[in-house]
Amino acid sequence: MMLPAFSLIRREYLRWIRAPTWVISGLMSPILYLLLFGQAFDLGKLLPAGTPPGVLAQVLSGAPNYFSYFAVGMVAFASVTAAMFSGTGIIFDKQLGILQRILSTPISRRSVFLSSLVFRGMLTLIPAFLVVGFAFLLVHVPGVTGLSVGAGVGVLDGAQFLVAALILSVAFTALFLSFGFAAQRIESYFGVVTILQLPILLTSNAMYPVSIMPKWLQYLVGFNPISLAVNVMRMSLFGTAGYPYSAGVYLLGLLAWAGLFVALALFLASKALSTDVGPKGSALSQAIAE
Amino acid sequence: MAESQPPDTVIDAQDLRMVYPPAKSGGTGTVAVDGVSFQVHRGEIFGLLGPNGAGKTTTISILTTLIKATAGHARIEGIDVLERPHDVRRKIGLVFQKSTADEELTGRENLSIEAGLYGLSGAGIASHATELLNQMDLGSFADRLVKTYSGGMRRRLELAVGIVHNPRLLFLDEPTLGLDPQGRAGFWRYIRSLREGKGLTVLMTTHYLDEADQLCDRIAVVDHGKIIALGAPKELKESLGGDTLELSVGAGAADPTPVLKALPGVTTVARKGDTYRVKCSNGQSLVPKAVMAAAQAGVDITGATVITPTLDEVFLELTGRSYREEGDVPDREDGSESEPAPATGGAA
Repeated sequence: MMLPAFSLIRREYLRWIRAPTWVISGLMSPILYLLLFGQAFDLGKLLPAGTPPGVLAQVLSGAPNYFSYFAVGMVAFASVTAAMFSGTGIIFDKQLGILQRILSTPISRRSVFLSSLVFRGMLTLIPAFLVVGFAFLLVHVPGVTGLSVGAGVGVLDGAQFLVAALILSVAFTALFLSFGFAAQRIESYFGVVTILQLPILLTSNAMYPVSIMPKWLQYLVGFNPISLAVNVMRMSLFGTAGYPYSAGVYLLGLLAWAGLFVALALFLASKALSTDVGPKGSALSQAIAE
Repeated sequence: MAESQPPDTVIDAQDLRMVYPPAKSGGTGTVAVDGVSFQVHRGEIFGLLGPNGAGKTTTISILTTLIKATAGHARIEGIDVLERPHDVRRKIGLVFQKSTADEELTGRENLSIEAGLYGLSGAGIASHATELLNQMDLGSFADRLVKTYSGGMRRRLELAVGIVHNPRLLFLDEPTLGLDPQGRAGFWRYIRSLREGKGLTVLMTTHYLDEADQLCDRIAVVDHGKIIALGAPKELKESLGGDTLELSVGAGAADPTPVLKALPGVTTVARKGDTYRVKCSNGQSLVPKAVMAAAQAGVDITGATVITPTLDEVFLELTGRSYREEGDVPDREDGSESEPAPATGGAA
């Protein structure tokens, strides 16, 4: 069972390595946000002169400056943006008949889904890494702010940061993969993705602190999987002061989202890959029929 | 094939039915396959011949476990396609109507990835893939991206992909669709060489009459989801009752029907204007006899044409309509294809 799934991963890898365009396009927004929005919109400068430094740190959950706070949010945003392309391959494979051919081989339906999830999930981490690296490098560029972290950040904190980024990637990869399995056309897929993109981002704490939001929005933001991941990532880099819950609680919440999205994707994938024909059957079988 | 002992049955389809549900609720479903039964024996090339929309692709999709039949049973190598689809998939190779190779990959990569889906990898499969690519005359293109391949090369690659895991049973769905006559003849050669070399059993669909005639050992003629005739192409043609000899006579000539009817091997004589259609067992040898007999009766034969039976005429005989008129039938199987029904070589 492992070998056939590996074969599919190899195929996706070969395709991707020859045309890695979407990683670059997926990187554009987060990088532009870092370079322009993150530099221009410095919350710290809004505070009246003479405000003690502790006040800003409190608002920014321990981050030394707004850019550092914001950069971590952009890491999550980069993952989610990259994940938005996860479902496209499935749609093209359906339209070109490649998926039908794969289904005529003995590979299990679950392997088809899991190989996509694993490969795409890994791919969505790449932009996240690039954004982190870019934000760190900005420290050395004169005239711009870069990402600086607390002095006591160790290997375990780094690992915790990674785990949060990974679960977030898997969660959104699964969510968008499930749209890919459900959608028949690339237009309808991106229709849904475009509708979701901004609400998902703007109801999170990726760009601004929860404490300055109205109560009702705070409630919404608290449950957003991006917020949960960003909380853990910020705790890893800037310390845990000021958070009502521990990193473990946020990770559990994030895991719950991931579990939900993976379950949804599994359900839609098995429906899409089913050999039944009819209202309960798959659109794929229907397509074969037509 | 030895007729004395029971043949080794590779495919056994029993009363397959496929009813597609209506597009809108409340509508009636579409019956695509309507009680199809047939057996395919080991080592033969068996053809499902019929116009577009006859239910050929649906039948293949059922046998290859891609869709579940509404009713009926099918066994591949004794394995039930509904009960153990996974085991059936191990036994079979499938070449689709459409090209399904990954365009962004090379021919060789497509083969090795397909083999991987069957759990095959390593040096053995790599050299096997090279051998296959050479056999399909794709050796020098093996490491080029498929998107640079011509139509004929793609079909050959599809064939190689379909058999990379060494199945003993191969399904071909309209394998030469879209190829020019030369490319099609070439493709038949590859299929024949596979049958000879690897002892493959082949089930193929086609709507090309000449393809069925020249390539298949036996064919099932399918129309409106039903098999309307089944047998070797020669048998089907012979079932029409032999050749037709068309004789033209000069205007105002006497009726030669009585003398023609008296000739050996002649079954019927029909008149159409100045032309007489003579049904007979052997048209070629009848020509001189008919001309002589007519001359003795004082009738000048001005022209003679021998028409040997074709599958087109078989189809005409069975359905009451000519195969070539089928282009207007709404297309269900081929989707986007709006290919006119074939008029190629079938009526020689």
